[in-house]
Amino acid sequence: MQTISPIIQYFLASGVPLDTVILILMLPIIATFIAFLRQVVGIKAFGIYTPLIITFAFLATNGLKYGIAIFIAVILVGMLMRFVLRPFRLLYLPRVAITLTVVALLILFLLVAGGAMRRTGLAAVSIFPILIMITLVEKFVAVQIEKGNKTAILLAFETLVISIIGYYIASWGSLVELLVIHPWATLLTLPINILLGKWTGLRINEYFRFKEVIKKM
Amino acid sequence: MFEYIKNSRKILGMNSRNLKFIRPYNLKRAKRLADDKLLSKKILRKNNIAVPKLIALIKTREDLENFDWQSLPDSFALKPNRGFGGEGILVVYGKKKNGEDTWIKADRSTVTVDDLKNHIQNIFDGSFSLSNTPDVAFFEERLQLLKLFKPYAYKGIPDIRVIVFNKIPIMAMLRLPTKESGGKANLQQGAIGVGIDMATGITTSAIQGKNKFIEKIPGTRLALSGVKIPYWKDILTLAVRAQEISGLGFLGADIAIDKERGPVILELNARPGLSIQVANLAGLKERLERISGLKIKGSEKGVRMGMDLFGGEVEEEVEGISGKKVIGTVEKVKLIGKDGKEIEVDAKIDTGAGFSSIDTELAKDLGFAETILKFENLNPGYETLKNLNLEQRKNIFSDVPDLSDTAIIHSSHGTTYRPMVNLSIVMNGVLIPTKVSIIDRSSLKFRIIIGKKNLGKFLIDVKKTSF
Repeated sequence: MQTISPIIQYFLASGVPLDTVILILMLPIIATFIAFLRQVVGIKAFGIYTPLIITFAFLATNGLKYGIAIFIAVILVGMLMRFVLRPFRLLYLPRVAITLTVVALLILFLLVAGGAMRRTGLAAVSIFPILIMITLVEKFVAVQIEKGNKTAILLAFETLVISIIGYYIASWGSLVELLVIHPWATLLTLPINILLGKWTGLRINEYFRFKEVIKKM
Repeated sequence: MFEYIKNSRKILGMNSRNLKFIRPYNLKRAKRLADDKLLSKKILRKNNIAVPKLIALIKTREDLENFDWQSLPDSFALKPNRGFGGEGILVVYGKKKNGEDTWIKADRSTVTVDDLKNHIQNIFDGSFSLSNTPDVAFFEERLQLLKLFKPYAYKGIPDIRVIVFNKIPIMAMLRLPTKESGGKANLQQGAIGVGIDMATGITTSAIQGKNKFIEKIPGTRLALSGVKIPYWKDILTLAVRAQEISGLGFLGADIAIDKERGPVILELNARPGLSIQVANLAGLKERLERISGLKIKGSEKGVRMGMDLFGGEVEEEVEGISGKKVIGTVEKVKLIGKDGKEIEVDAKIDTGAGFSSIDTELAKDLGFAETILKFENLNPGYETLKNLNLEQRKNIFSDVPDLSDTAIIHSSHGTTYRPMVNLSIVMNGVLIPTKVSIIDRSSLKFRIIIGKKNLGKFLIDVKKTSF
């Protein structure tokens, strides 16, 4: 076991919890990973902020499965409410407000139901990750309006996959260890991002999108 | 595999579109102009570019409350100013006969004043604009569908997307609204995109949605290729002019054709989509690279460059410029001889010869047997004839039927004195009435050569074969 970096020891001595320090050092790595997926692979998801914050929500819930359950519940309600609210022809913000209300109530119901079924893990999830997930609804509804249900579901799915992978990256023992010993390693993401920011090649999904053109050209 | 990688370099992807073209060539001010439909309309109109007419502008809730709904015409389009991807556009085609202030949409559903108010409220709230910023609404004239497009378009008006870079139109696509797209000419919503040959304005291959190849309009037998877009050159000129005015270096201009007004600019796009490459089966990157750095003076020149560089068939291009047909060194021709006798043969195109000449046997088959026979009988030979003048020579052969002329020909046969007859040659669809000389070509590969005198309407491509 190598020694903890002096700077981290200083943080700890100042009263910052180790978990918090690691989460913060992990943030640039997850963000870079998402940027890589967008520029090189071509996975869009809901921008960079949403998958990032969902990853952290997953980390903060007790175990991945509850996080995924809440995520799916939120998206399902978002889809359902579109059809329920359509005949009312509501304006945008009130519509999102109603959807948020339904999502909030559903999650409350889930927590209670989980408790009643002795799944205390769910009920023990702290409130902040739940609130983060609820805000996912706005993103989802916005995309639904702009690009339609199909795109919204696809992007939600991509977000979910990225967040799950992000969760595993962030809880990867060796990486955590590396950051504890060499916290500066997180700055390596800067040159990587500069390279990504200058990358002008085709994205991997574009090779599929333009497959026929490339073949027939 | 190697080919695949090489070809993939010709494709413009999102990354390079954004970094190499939109960022450096579409500056913020120009982008803002493109995203603001009302502003771009105003500026284009100031510069005498045809745009759909503005009927009314509704900026505030007060405007909405005080709006005189009676003032609206029977048909119009209601649009959000910063709408994105064709969202939030409401088009009505006529007023309901009995009902007051009720209009009819393309799908026969009705629209009341309350519906319009609600829609405008939604526009105000930014439901259709990029990142939900508050927006304003406006009414504009509904364009009339061109008769030619009627069978191709489903309840809506097709438009033509032209990508312009460096004052040169580099690629174009006809977008046809379909049932799936709900009458909108937007590929992402399921409209059809048809590639267009830049030189001729004739459609080529087609896709529906983002990348499904189709050949006919779904559910019909209507072929999508081979449609000639009217006003083609005007459309390209309009697109290039729009670029000059807007300052968008990399522009996607959307142009519709109105039944009465001709081409009008619908919209300017600062971030044109990439599916146009699929519809055209061609890469934008390659085309962009070919023209970057060129100094183009004036829209006229740019349009001509685009047509010349990016037209599919070189031939048609040349034909377009010179008005001359391109032929190879060997062409199939039809000969029409005496009494309309027709024979098809392969002809050698010979720019070294003056007159065209045909083989004796062929001439006989064309009905000139008697001419040849009499000519041979009367022919005293070149050695005698060369000492006579024109008048004397003519007199010798005055009895020969169908003889149009005689000629002294110096060729690989040596110098000969040949009879000439009138016949017609049909080559590449062109009818050439002419006189040809007759000579024994039985030992040669081609029974006819076409000489310079008959080639005035053609250009010769030595690499072309017509077989």
